[in-house]
Amino acid sequence: MKIGVITFPGTNCDQDVVKMVQAHGHTVIPLWHKDRFETSAVDMAIVPGGFSYGDYLRCGALAARSPVMHSVRELASKGKPVLGICNGFQILCETGLLPGVLVRNDHGQFTDKWTEIELVQTTRFFAQSGKTRLRLPVAHGEGRFYADKAELDKIEDQGLVWFRYTENINGSLNNIAGVMNKQKNVAALMPHPERAMFEWMGGNDGFKFI
Amino acid sequence: MSERSLSEKLKHYRISQGEYERITGLLGRPPQGLEWALFSALWSEHCSYKSSKVHLRKFSYRNGMTRDDSDENAGVVDIGFGEKIVFKMESHNHPSFIEPYQGAATGVGGILRDIFTMGARPIALADYLCFGDENAPRMKSLVKGVVAGISGYGNCVGVPTITGYTEYDAGYNKNILVNAMAVGLLEGSMSLASSKAEGVGNLVVYVGAKTGKDGVHGAAMASESFDQDIDSKKPNIQIGDPFLEKLLIESCLEVLSKNLVVCMQDMGAAGLTSSTFEMASKGKVGMDLHLDKVPLRDSSVTPEEILLSESQERMVLVCVPENLEAIQAVFKKWDLDAAPIGTITATKKMRLFWKGDVVTEIDPTLITDSAPRYERPFTNYQSKHKTDKLGSVWSQTPQELRETLKQNAFYKNKNWIFQQYDQRVGTRTVKDASHSLSVVRLNSHRDLAISVGCRPAFMRMDTRIGAIDAILYPALQQAIKGFKPIAVTDCLNFASPERPEVMTDFVQTCDLYAEIAQKLDAPIISGNVSFYNETEGKGIPPTPAVGLVGLKENDERMPDCVFSEPGLDVYLVQMPGVAAYAKTAEVLKKDVQFVGDLPVAYACDFVSALSQFVARARPQVSRVVGQGGLALTLDKMTANGIACVIRVDEGHMFNSTGFLFEERLYDFVFAVTRTQRAVFEKELHDLASRWNLVTHVLGTSQNLR
Repeated sequence: MKIGVITFPGTNCDQDVVKMVQAHGHTVIPLWHKDRFETSAVDMAIVPGGFSYGDYLRCGALAARSPVMHSVRELASKGKPVLGICNGFQILCETGLLPGVLVRNDHGQFTDKWTEIELVQTTRFFAQSGKTRLRLPVAHGEGRFYADKAELDKIEDQGLVWFRYTENINGSLNNIAGVMNKQKNVAALMPHPERAMFEWMGGNDGFKFI
Repeated sequence: MSERSLSEKLKHYRISQGEYERITGLLGRPPQGLEWALFSALWSEHCSYKSSKVHLRKFSYRNGMTRDDSDENAGVVDIGFGEKIVFKMESHNHPSFIEPYQGAATGVGGILRDIFTMGARPIALADYLCFGDENAPRMKSLVKGVVAGISGYGNCVGVPTITGYTEYDAGYNKNILVNAMAVGLLEGSMSLASSKAEGVGNLVVYVGAKTGKDGVHGAAMASESFDQDIDSKKPNIQIGDPFLEKLLIESCLEVLSKNLVVCMQDMGAAGLTSSTFEMASKGKVGMDLHLDKVPLRDSSVTPEEILLSESQERMVLVCVPENLEAIQAVFKKWDLDAAPIGTITATKKMRLFWKGDVVTEIDPTLITDSAPRYERPFTNYQSKHKTDKLGSVWSQTPQELRETLKQNAFYKNKNWIFQQYDQRVGTRTVKDASHSLSVVRLNSHRDLAISVGCRPAFMRMDTRIGAIDAILYPALQQAIKGFKPIAVTDCLNFASPERPEVMTDFVQTCDLYAEIAQKLDAPIISGNVSFYNETEGKGIPPTPAVGLVGLKENDERMPDCVFSEPGLDVYLVQMPGVAAYAKTAEVLKKDVQFVGDLPVAYACDFVSALSQFVARARPQVSRVVGQGGLALTLDKMTANGIACVIRVDEGHMFNSTGFLFEERLYDFVFAVTRTQRAVFEKELHDLASRWNLVTHVLGTSQNLR
């Protein structure tokens, strides 16, 4: 598979995602924020974590308006898979490809720790290990999933919750750690699967994520 | 400016009468115009090391993995397989006390630039922090601000902070210490970048953030003691932007990897002055610099402020003119400025221009190499707290004592600090800060351990023992996980060098560090001195922090640091040395005391023996006993709900307060599976008889419930 990995100014997990993609024998297509790309040349796109545009304005807000995201929207509309991790989740929400938004953790601090998440809804594109409970690390200051009552009800009713934290670490509504779109081809989560690839990293539940 | 009297000028520029006379002698006339600012910055203690240089020369030991590049930004260790490790530790104490968030944040930014300016990608950060009593004025907000600053900067630039040390003691009530260490990796086709300006006609290019008025006179400010009025120093504080730093890392590494650059230097203390003068002076060339071409945040910045500004996230590089366009293209891609501001000349003079006119013309070596060298007075160090026999100082039961100690800020769990740091970005982290040893994995499938050392309670107890421990303790922590310490960096935090008792501690420390580096075969490859950590005549305790990097030549499993399963046999192994009540006595407000000594040669040799022992004996769990003695170490090892159960009669030594709470240099705990027991015991027997160790079987590990 040819997997596009996007780099914005301030993205800092792109090379980690590259390592993950290569570990599965896929080909990496580096995608630069200023450039649109041919959607036929990419089978999947990953929006990695970091601090795109320095989190200026609002995390993910500027990245969502960049040229590369124009092509990502097009890719998604063709039914090809798009995965967001951490800041990538924030960006996909800001882009409107995913419902909800991510706001400051309820305790006000950045949090780095191993968490356990529970698989709620499957998608045939990602996280196909068969595990229903995964131990993955998080590292974020703005990971609290939020949506107004009507939208949250819609997310639950339509089965768009991908993962929930088994213990709420940041005040996320309904313990939501990851969501997907109705077509199930765009999905994102706050924890970092690329940081849990091998036992030596502290766990390997992220290995079969893509 | 010219209206000011000489004494006012000397005060403003923080230049002494003697130094003024020296400058006048060197120039053949009194300094004028911008020269005042140049000498003020580069002859400051912070930039010139004028009180320490004669002693730092003792750190000259090098081995096959290290070379003498002491005039580069950071030290380099060539570990083979095409991998080089670049690291350094630096202080940001004065700014952090004035403005904790920005002080700590820019401390991280500054040390990172020292690493990537050499072409190495930063892969890990560590911090060494000393705070005052937790109830001292401002202390809670200082602690919070410093941690938030490190978190805010390090997380955003995408370099994991994986280890650290945090002290709390009233000695730091009015001068906290914030030391940051950065470790970089140079691999593949990247070659080491130099900071030596070369090639007449080559261009001097300014890259990164624009220059503002922040941090003007920062270096001089960091070279004096505090008085009552710290608020007036706020304009000396630099403001950091980690997002710009991230762009700067990527763009600088990109131009270096494309071989577009002759040399590169970050703008740190004393900003543009320090970087350009040092580059010219190292390369024995001159430079024409056009200060009006420096990208500015606003047009009101004066030439003197341009020279002294410590605005963050800026670098200077030199390139051949044909490469300018390609360099500018890279920086443009990352949305950063890259402005040619001058050229290399054969004159060996720095000529500073402002709108076409020469405003200053000076030989850079007068400022960089001719700074005064002070041989500050000191005496031979005398031990203060050594006794013949350790007194019994406590009446509480061991359980009561343990609970009392755990209430103290120092002994409390510090996870709340590390959980604010991204510890895994870069996906190299094998062991994060929740472990007794932090480790990253290299592409060559070897493991690199990163530790910080110096336990100030032992320094306060005895400068000699404390200084030995500062390197030995992290070295033993690495050895007990199978690592070999390979090199050292230091950050020597002291009070005023003008006081002989401070200088005595400083010299004693330098002598010991030099000796230990050689005996451990771990050269001191970089470092920093921070003097004048004092307020109104009261100084901090001597605090020579250390950063130690160790290597394990494989990626095999290393022993755990907590009891990881029930049914393990637990051993205590004791090296003859010092027994003390140091931190524990301080917390309980009792007399600090110790018996015994630490023979340097024996202890250094034991480090490699321990590392080899661990590789052969393969314990399941291993740990060096820390402050608070065996009691608190066993308590920490119980983190997984599995404890070492000691089954002995009430009157047995294992239940005595002394045995459990003495801080012995050094005791080690091992836990071994039943299947490994025979091999372990045989190896332990050999080790003990060769090194004169005492061994005990303490008990077995069991589930607490």
